[in-house]
Amino acid sequence: MESLTLFNFSGQFYALLGAALAALLAGIGSAIGIGIAGEAAAGVVSEDPNKFGQVLVLQALPGTQGIYGLLIAFIILLKVGLLGGDGMVDITVSQGAYILASAAPIGLVGIFSAIAQGKAAAAGIMLVGKKPSELAKGMIFAAMVETYAVLALLISFLMINSITF
Amino acid sequence: MAIVEMSKLSVIGLNDNKSDVLKELMTLGVCEISSQDEKLSDSEWAALIKRDFDQSAGLSADMKISEVSSALEVLDKYFTGKKPFIKCRKPVSEAEFEAKSSKPEEAEKLTALVNEKYKKVLSLKAQKTSLLTEIAELKPWLDYEFDLDMKETKYSSIIHGTLPNSVSVTEVESKISQEGCGGVINIVSKDDKITYAVAVCLKQDKENVLGILRQENFNPVYFADIAGTAKENTDICNGRLQEVEKDLSDIEAEIGRLSQNIEVLEFYYDDLIIERDRYKILTNILRTEKTFYFDGWVIKSAVENVKSVLDKYNCYYEVTEPEKGEEMPILLKQNSLTEPFQAITDLYSTPSVNDIDPTPFLAPFYFIFFGLMLSDAAYGLILSVGSFILLKHYRLEGMMKRLVKMFMFCGISTFFWGVLFGGWFGDMFGISPAWFNPVEEPMTLLVFSLILGGIHIFVGMGLKAYILLRNGQAIDAICDIFLWYLLLIGIVVFALGSRIAPIATEIDKWMSIIGAVGIVLTGGRSKKGVGKITGGLGSLYGITSYLSDVLSYSRLLALGLATGVVSQVINTLGKMVGGGVIGVIVMIVVFIIGHVFNLAINTLGTFVHSSRLQYVEFFGKFFDGGGTPFNPFSRKTKYVEILKEEK
Repeated sequence: MESLTLFNFSGQFYALLGAALAALLAGIGSAIGIGIAGEAAAGVVSEDPNKFGQVLVLQALPGTQGIYGLLIAFIILLKVGLLGGDGMVDITVSQGAYILASAAPIGLVGIFSAIAQGKAAAAGIMLVGKKPSELAKGMIFAAMVETYAVLALLISFLMINSITF
Repeated sequence: MAIVEMSKLSVIGLNDNKSDVLKELMTLGVCEISSQDEKLSDSEWAALIKRDFDQSAGLSADMKISEVSSALEVLDKYFTGKKPFIKCRKPVSEAEFEAKSSKPEEAEKLTALVNEKYKKVLSLKAQKTSLLTEIAELKPWLDYEFDLDMKETKYSSIIHGTLPNSVSVTEVESKISQEGCGGVINIVSKDDKITYAVAVCLKQDKENVLGILRQENFNPVYFADIAGTAKENTDICNGRLQEVEKDLSDIEAEIGRLSQNIEVLEFYYDDLIIERDRYKILTNILRTEKTFYFDGWVIKSAVENVKSVLDKYNCYYEVTEPEKGEEMPILLKQNSLTEPFQAITDLYSTPSVNDIDPTPFLAPFYFIFFGLMLSDAAYGLILSVGSFILLKHYRLEGMMKRLVKMFMFCGISTFFWGVLFGGWFGDMFGISPAWFNPVEEPMTLLVFSLILGGIHIFVGMGLKAYILLRNGQAIDAICDIFLWYLLLIGIVVFALGSRIAPIATEIDKWMSIIGAVGIVLTGGRSKKGVGKITGGLGSLYGITSYLSDVLSYSRLLALGLATGVVSQVINTLGKMVGGGVIGVIVMIVVFIIGHVFNLAINTLGTFVHSSRLQYVEFFGKFFDGGGTPFNPFSRKTKYVEILKEEK
């Protein structure tokens, strides 16, 4: 029994863990993704400084996962009453675990899709370096990846939205 | 509203009139003169004609242009007046352009002067760098009071050099004396890695001492062409540096003054470009002893104008209509409402001859989707007003103008959806929605988004059916589009049927079955043998792609939520600080920074995702692209726009 007490956290803890993981994983993914794209962008700008604006647009694309993660984290905090005036509501362990599970899609899909999107954006930046008129196509390649982050965001949102205390 | 109709033009004229004809055609700017490589490689043609191109003339024009453009770059860099935020072409009348570009001597003189001055600037900058290097090199030796060029005295040698800080000077000295040599090492200065030192020893021991020093990683320093102490030399360098800097700022100020005349060079540059293009087009013109020949494309509505020019110069010409499906350059024409949305088509691809122009069809959907994804009334107002101001203040052209105008339109849509969903900087003012709040009722908006998506996809399929019917492929239209309509509508209504009426369920069950069976039977019609069966099943499996296409429109909801909730985050953060003067100030700062960030990132996201829905889900159904854009023989000026006179 002694070892089980290690996991004997309150429901509130699990809910906050969910909020933390949503912001944390998706944020890490976006940071890495933007970093990958930024390296490529600096390379292209070193050849032609006039392309700064174009490549910056592409570099920003993997940033959305971090925002989606923040969004879900924020909604969880609202839900558990941490941002309101009345303080945190009581949450059972199973409710807390439910919130943790709801945060999983955007956290996990966020981190991997942002990294993948960063690579696609970097490739798009290379494309713009060679053919500046093809910016739109580079953007679409990166946006294809983002679809799955959008879907994960949607599922996370719908799951959290449906819970009541 | 569509792809502009073109006519084919072939012209034969006399060489004496050639330059006048070309000049007038260029002013009209409605013809594209085609490459004649094919005819030149045909032996029958090649026997009669040759390419009309004087390479040296084109080359000298190119050289002049590159000189002028480097002078323009210099002037732009040192331009002292107010620079516009966006550089736009200046409108001038035909007469003004003629007048201002009629004096090339002045412009040529200015070009030469500017380039010469800039060369001087570069050489002065190089001098400055070398002086700074010298000063930096002398700096560690400033405390050494003897002349640097003094390498020996009557009996002793003096060696200047550096040692790593890790080496102890006293140890080195004792090593020298152990070897039986006489010598001392004086430390001049130290920085964080290196000790600058002078070793003095007897002349006959010099080689030995140097050997010992080298073992301790000693690097001799030689002062070439320097007389006197480090201090004296530094003073001289500083003096020269001041002179160089003064010269530099004088010349730069002079260039700054010259930059007031930048307009002269801009006119000259554009005049040269026009002249160069007139030489270059000769590559596409064929000639015999007395005559010239070219062919190409003319905008159909402008054929009469071209004819009158050709008649004036007694050219023999022929205007024919293109055959069906013949490759020709593509020009799109829109009405004023759909015109800005051509930016989206242009960013993707020029339609091919067999396509239809997708712009009028994508425009309403783009308008709706953009607003739905951004969905904040205040953001919409900012976007529209901002774009409007840009359009009023700057003479934007081409893609830039279209995009800005498109954002102005989409801002209106954003405002509209913002009012419906109650977004005014998110929940800042607590204005209640005219329809419903998507954060509270996400399922309603999700269903609405998917329905919008379904309509979008159906319109795309309808356009494909239209193209197929136009090309006389009625069977393909029925099998690939109408059966799918039957199946998809059937499935959707069947699923919802029980809510509408039981009889609908029955009808739609049979609609789906007919559709599905039809697709299985006809899907493999172009294949042979077993392929007919597997092909049919394979094409029914395509239903999964329709499912994923429709689900893709859930991003309409997700991005709308992203804008709304991030606004809410910003507002909550801003209000957290609490009351008091400081609280209000912090709140305002957080609001401004936060909402500017949110507007920027979400406008970008919205732009990308509305485009994606057009490119992937919509264009995928009917649009191929890959056409060649119409590239008329016209005056492609960079700095001025020569206004056509109304006749």
